[in-house]
Amino acid sequence: MMEEILLQAEHLSYSYGEGNRALHDVSLSVRKGEKIAVLGSNGAGKSTCFFNLNGVLIPDTGTIWYQGKKIGKKDLSELRRKVGVVFQDADNQIIASTVYAEVSFGPMNLKLPRDQVKTRVDTALKSMNLIMLKDRPPHYLSGGEKKRVSIADILAMEPEVILFDEPTASLDPVNVDMLTKVLGEMSDMGKTLLISTHDVDFAYQWADRAVVFAGGTIIADGPVTDILACGPVLKQGNLRKPVLMEVYDSLVKSRIIPENSPHFKNTQELNRLLKA
Amino acid sequence: MKNIHTIDFYAYESRLKGLNPGLKAVVAIAALLICIGTGNYLVSVTVFLTMGGVTVIWGGLSFWKYLGLLKIPVTFLILGTAAIVVGISSAPTGRFCVSLPGFYLYLSDDGAILSARLIIKAMACVSAMYMLVLSTPASEVINLLGKLPLPRLLLELMNLIYRFIFVMMDVQSRMKQAAQSRLGYSSFFTSCRSFGGIGANLFLVSLKKAGTYYDAMTSRCYEGELLFMEEVKPVKRKEAAVAAGYIAVLLLLLLI
Repeated sequence: MMEEILLQAEHLSYSYGEGNRALHDVSLSVRKGEKIAVLGSNGAGKSTCFFNLNGVLIPDTGTIWYQGKKIGKKDLSELRRKVGVVFQDADNQIIASTVYAEVSFGPMNLKLPRDQVKTRVDTALKSMNLIMLKDRPPHYLSGGEKKRVSIADILAMEPEVILFDEPTASLDPVNVDMLTKVLGEMSDMGKTLLISTHDVDFAYQWADRAVVFAGGTIIADGPVTDILACGPVLKQGNLRKPVLMEVYDSLVKSRIIPENSPHFKNTQELNRLLKA
Repeated sequence: MKNIHTIDFYAYESRLKGLNPGLKAVVAIAALLICIGTGNYLVSVTVFLTMGGVTVIWGGLSFWKYLGLLKIPVTFLILGTAAIVVGISSAPTGRFCVSLPGFYLYLSDDGAILSARLIIKAMACVSAMYMLVLSTPASEVINLLGKLPLPRLLLELMNLIYRFIFVMMDVQSRMKQAAQSRLGYSSFFTSCRSFGGIGANLFLVSLKKAGTYYDAMTSRCYEGELLFMEEVKPVKRKEAAVAAGYIAVLLLLLLI
């Protein structure tokens, strides 16, 4: 059974000032619980699209729907509450002078009662493993810790959809593993996740669905395996094939695995396939 | 710049951080007022020693670092009191005098005693304020000010400025490194040029950052009022008793 459509954008266009068109006729619908990788090169419009979906930027033309409700000027704060954005650079997101105050900023803006803010902040800090750092000012944190704070910021607001803008860009492998784990937990919690990235290997492993941006429009949208196997799309989107997919092709070519065997998304799946 | 960093850092390291900031502020301000208000040197010496003791022994700040911080006001005090110690007269007078064309510069006993008292008083006040700032993170101090009838805008600005000092310092140090790596500071002339360039760039970067921060705040439902929740650190009865006792002792010393 298909899940209900949560977030829907219809023919969105957005430009930063005259003649600087960043988005052009973008239509996208996101179902509950989906794991979507938003792919595309720098400047393809991924971040602009995210900011439109969250209501920070208001599209020049086109409409956004949330759970079947058209978002007008008055519903922007509702959209922002339901759809959270984790910024690419945590340093551009953190404003408070302690971790605890920082994470409380979102829930406080939701005008929740104090004890509820407290529980939300505590839960968010715990799930991002930040309890030890809660009194620390952000300028004495490492890059990975700041990233965790910026995710906790959004978690504390308990949105249904979370948009991650290039989360893996500035993280070391250990922190990418941490992030992958966190993303898994969020999916288990029933959150809908969209991640913009140009790391095709990460996208291939994590996502179910891929949306490819190029030049401000969506050029492909579909199951991640189909999209990343499609040569023309990869070329137009300035992407390359995931390494594991190349391995799959080589294995099929040299007849080690049969032609119609399922795609593997990680080494465990590969090992299982080879054993069978 | 470096000093902001160190004082700020010591506050987070202090063992007194867990205490209620209001209590610390009350003790520091009471000590300050008693010192300034009475000018009693016995009280001043006591405040100077006890506040220093609290910061170093209780707070766990190294003695040498504390001494290093005390050096900053001492420099100002020496320059400031020089004018009080030295007098001008038309006739030779005082314990020691220098003849200059038309007048005499002299040192008097009274002036020396006055300036000594002044120095003690000032150092006592500084040590009381140091006790507060070296044990209380800036955000808590700002929060305390929030309890006073001050405009909210002022406090929001203080919060943002505090955060941005560090953001801008970080950006500046990275730009400086980048300039240094390209020999931007190899001579006086290039240093001037690099410094100017960094200054101009810093301005542009701050404008741009202000925009992205605003977006980030809006995306988290910011609607014109900067709201944070601070953890409440309750006053323990024992701590309140110690604080009250301390102030009482200072007042008693006045009677001696």
